[in-house]
Amino acid sequence: MPTFQTVPCVNINDEFVDVVSIDVKQGEFVNSGDVVATVETDKSMIDVVAEQDGYVLRVDCEPGQKIRVGAVMFWLGATRDEAIPEETKDTSSTVSAVRQPTAKARAMLKELDIDPARIPASGERLSVADIEAWLRKGGKPGKAAASTQTAIRREDAPTVAGDLQELSPEAAGMLHTVAWHRDFAASAYLEVEYDPKPWEERAAAYATEHKLMLSPLLPLMAFRLAELGRERPLINSTIVNGQRFQYTPVNIGFTVQAGAMLYLTVVRDTQDMNAAQFISALGEVQRHAMAHKLPPQEATGATLSFSSMARWNVSRHTPILPPQTSLIIAHAAPKNSDKAVLGATYDHRVLTGFDVAQVLLALSRPA
Amino acid sequence: MNLNPDQIKAAIRAKVIELAKALDMDASGVTDDDILPATGLLDSGAILELVVWFEASYDFRIKQEDMNIDNLGSINAMTNFLLSSKPA
Repeated sequence: MPTFQTVPCVNINDEFVDVVSIDVKQGEFVNSGDVVATVETDKSMIDVVAEQDGYVLRVDCEPGQKIRVGAVMFWLGATRDEAIPEETKDTSSTVSAVRQPTAKARAMLKELDIDPARIPASGERLSVADIEAWLRKGGKPGKAAASTQTAIRREDAPTVAGDLQELSPEAAGMLHTVAWHRDFAASAYLEVEYDPKPWEERAAAYATEHKLMLSPLLPLMAFRLAELGRERPLINSTIVNGQRFQYTPVNIGFTVQAGAMLYLTVVRDTQDMNAAQFISALGEVQRHAMAHKLPPQEATGATLSFSSMARWNVSRHTPILPPQTSLIIAHAAPKNSDKAVLGATYDHRVLTGFDVAQVLLALSRPA
Repeated sequence: MNLNPDQIKAAIRAKVIELAKALDMDASGVTDDDILPATGLLDSGAILELVVWFEASYDFRIKQEDMNIDNLGSINAMTNFLLSSKPA
C-alpha cells in the first residue's frame, strides 16, 4: 500500500519551509535513509531522508516552493505502478503561486506576521518593495503584529547617497540572531574573574599526554560547559510560548573566526561524549569552518554556547544569545594579566543571576 | 603538483611567516625542526589555518586522529607526513 512522507518541522516556530531541492524522481527506488530533498527556513537548512524503502510514486512539491509543515512531500510504494489514493493532493498546504521572498522580505513578512500568499510579486521574487506597496494599498498585517505591537522597526533611508545591498547568508543569519535576542530573550550579562593557571596547567598536561597540535584549553572548557549542561538541565533549555522547552541533547555552540567570517559551529549530542571525543569532534568542525565548508548540522542546533575572544586580547565581550538558547559563555584572557574573565549572556526568562554565577564559578576551574 | 621536499618546506615556511605576521609576530627565523605550537609564533587558530591551507594546497585529507605533534609538529614533520601520505 502506498505511503506518503510529509514535510518535517525544521524549527518549531516555522509553519512553512522552502523547498531547496528535490533529489529523487518519480519511478526511482530509494532506500530508507537516502536524502530525498533539502528544505530550509530562514534559520536553518536540513536534508529530508526517506523514512522507508520504496519506489517514488509521485512528488508533490518542487524546488523554490513554499510548503506547509506536515504537507505531503511525496509518495512511496512497493512497486512502480501502485495507485495513489484519490483526493490526496492537499492544495491548501502549499503556496506554489507565491514567489519566493528575498531574505529581507522574508524577515519583514515574519515580523509583520503576513502570509506571503496575500501579496503579489512584481518580479521573480517577492521583495520588500512589493510588501510596502501592498501595505500602502491598505493591506493589513497579521494578528500577531496587530495585537502585540511588535511591528518591524522601519528605518528611514539615510539622506547620504548609497545603495541597499543583499546580505550574505552568514550576515543574514547574524541579523536573525540579533533580532531574536532583541525581540524575545530577556537578556542579561554578568561575569567573574578567575585565576587561569589551573586551567592552563590542565590543558598543557592534556596536550603533552595526547601530543596535540592545538591547545585544548578552550575545547576542555567547552566540554566542561557541556558537562554542566547535563548536570544543570535548566541552562540547556529555553522558553517557547510561555513554557520551558527542555532540550534533550546538549549541543555545544562554539564560535570560530574564519577569516572575515564568524561561525557558531555546533557539536551535537555531547552528552554521549568523553573529553577526547569532544575535542576530536570540535576539531573536525573547526576545520570545516576554517575551510568554509560547514554542513548544516554543524552550523545549527546549538543549545548551549561558548565564545572566546582571548585570541584578540580583549578584556571582555558580551555575546549575543543564539536563538532559542538561554546561555552563552564569554571567555577572555587579556595578555599581561594574571586574571582571566568568564562572562555570560543569559536569558533572564529562564535563568537567574544566581544560576549563572554558579555555572561560571564551576566553569572557572577544571572538574 | 610539485612534491619536491625543499619546495614543500619553503611553502610551509612562507605560510607560517604569513600567519604569524597576522598575529604581529616575526617568524622569519623559524627552522625546519622547530616545534611550531611550542614556538609561540602561532596560536591555535593560526595552526588550524595552517592545517586547512596544507590540506587544500596539496589536495589531501588529514584525519583528525593524525592531527598530532609527531605528524604535523614542525615543517620537517609536515613535509614527511605529506610525502608519506601521497602516492609516489
